[in-house]
Amino acid sequence: MRLELRDVFHVYAPGTPFEVEALRGVSVAVEPGEVLGIVGGTGSGKSTLVQHMNLLLTPASGEVLVDGVDARTVERGELRRRVGLVFQFPEAALFAPTVEEDVAFAPRRLGLDGGEVRTRVRDSLEALGAGHLAGRSPFALSGGEKRRVAVAGVLAMGPEVLVLDEPTAGLDPATRGDLLALILGLKAAGISVVLVSHDLDEVAEVADRVCAIERGVVRAVGTPAEVFYGAAEEDLAPATVQTVVALGEAQRGVGRPVRFRETLAALEALAEG
Amino acid sequence: MANRGLGQFYPASSPLHALDPRAKIVATAVLVLGLFLVDSIAGFLVVGAALAALVAISGIPPGAFLRILRPVAFIVALTVMFQVLFSREGATLVEWGPLEVHSGGLRLGSFLALRILLLVSAAGLLTATTAPVALADGLEHLLSPLKRLRFPAHEVAMMMTIALRFIPTLGEEAEKITRAQAARGADFSEGGLLRRVRALIPVLVPLTVGAFRRADELADAMESRGYRGGEGRTRYRELRFRARDALALALTGLILLSGILA
Ligand SMILES: Nc1ncnc2c1ncn2[C@@H]1O[C@H](COP(=O)(O)OP(=O)(O)OP(=O)(O)O)[C@@H](O)[C@H]1O
Ligand SMILES: [Mg+2]
Repeated sequence: MRLELRDVFHVYAPGTPFEVEALRGVSVAVEPGEVLGIVGGTGSGKSTLVQHMNLLLTPASGEVLVDGVDARTVERGELRRRVGLVFQFPEAALFAPTVEEDVAFAPRRLGLDGGEVRTRVRDSLEALGAGHLAGRSPFALSGGEKRRVAVAGVLAMGPEVLVLDEPTAGLDPATRGDLLALILGLKAAGISVVLVSHDLDEVAEVADRVCAIERGVVRAVGTPAEVFYGAAEEDLAPATVQTVVALGEAQRGVGRPVRFRETLAALEALAEG
Repeated sequence: MANRGLGQFYPASSPLHALDPRAKIVATAVLVLGLFLVDSIAGFLVVGAALAALVAISGIPPGAFLRILRPVAFIVALTVMFQVLFSREGATLVEWGPLEVHSGGLRLGSFLALRILLLVSAAGLLTATTAPVALADGLEHLLSPLKRLRFPAHEVAMMMTIALRFIPTLGEEAEKITRAQAARGADFSEGGLLRRVRALIPVLVPLTVGAFRRADELADAMESRGYRGGEGRTRYRELRFRARDALALALTGLILLSGILA
């Protein structure tokens, strides 16, 4: 399925002193079967953008298209199933007494029969390496385990596009590695993935295309090589270069090596030969 | 979905914002209690007009202010309906099958509605023009004479500050969780009352879990910074009661008196 945002504007708290214009004319498409990375500084509008993909937020103006048709004409539950959205810190929404029941929430809402629900719960927990957690309470898990369960809870709907909002934020390397592997696995199965991330390395690693957003405006769209390389060449708005680079560095924090430049060098080498 | 109206501070620079919070709290309390003595349409009009004038002075757009009233509109409508339909006082105005509307019921119903609306407006004006911290400070000062009776004025004010501080956070959190569950197919608008209440479980459980976690974190943070309750505390902000605060109080008394006598 092809998902497209066309000239989308979004305003929070319109008509109050708290008014924020979070998106200002965003146009971007998720092509069938691709991994689209979305990068940008904090508060740039990434989360706002992805919540338009299943119309959890509705645009003030502009439109969202599903295979070319207005997403508002698609039945709401159907849209939410086809475009699975995993929120930033999705573990905050775990609620059931056991992991199994929590993951079963979405498939049950789809009205699937008991056997199918069980299959889906098992399969999606397996896909996230969390099969052994099925009987546990979601509240008594580690941070990484909770994240795995929360992602499984959306995957269990069988989405055609999986949108992940900063899925690796604050995770241990093992869980992060598993999530990136999952993304590539989904892509191989023909499912499109949208990956919002602060980590340019991981975006460069798995994304086919990258969309760089800054203060609600798309600054660059293209392959990681084009966007990051182009940014480094300062072909693009200097502000974006700063965001992109600063972002990479800030995210790493103290004591961790900055791999962004190495990634760039590698991309450069790739581009040359 | 989100209810950002009731009790939210609306930053602006107006004479009302500049008043001492104690003056505003006392004025509001007096007005709210006094409203129960007002019992004529003219009286309600006087108080209503005065409140409208205050809203105009406060720099809050009338539209935004009216939104404060929206959440209570339903309750008001319901009480009026009960008063009007079930009171048998006064002359019969309408008879329609088993339903009768009497003049007394109509009068009581509309007075009740006006009273609730004015009451909520007054309270809304207080919270809209007073920063939460100032509100808690003012309250602590007003309650401090009770300290001699071992009333924990500081602790109560502190609790209020914390509660006020976290209500918006909790609201945001509730909104976020609601959307996260909607992304998993939750629907909060379908079915009867029971189904809707059940649909709230996936929101309320994580919200409660999160609130307890936050409370824990806050308690740890306060303890690690040496918070030890109200004993011997000095305060960071001093309140000053000025001539304009006295004037505001006098004016409130005047409005109320004319409302009661009208
Ligand atoms: N519910 C809301 N109400 C009001 N303003 C909001 C709300 N959610 C986000 N905003 C504002 O909209 C802008 C974009 O926010 P958004 O959450 O989309 O950014 P983001 O790129 O996801 O940031 P981060 O990397 O920190 O997650 C910010 O200025 C933010 O303060
Ligand atoms: Mg975000």
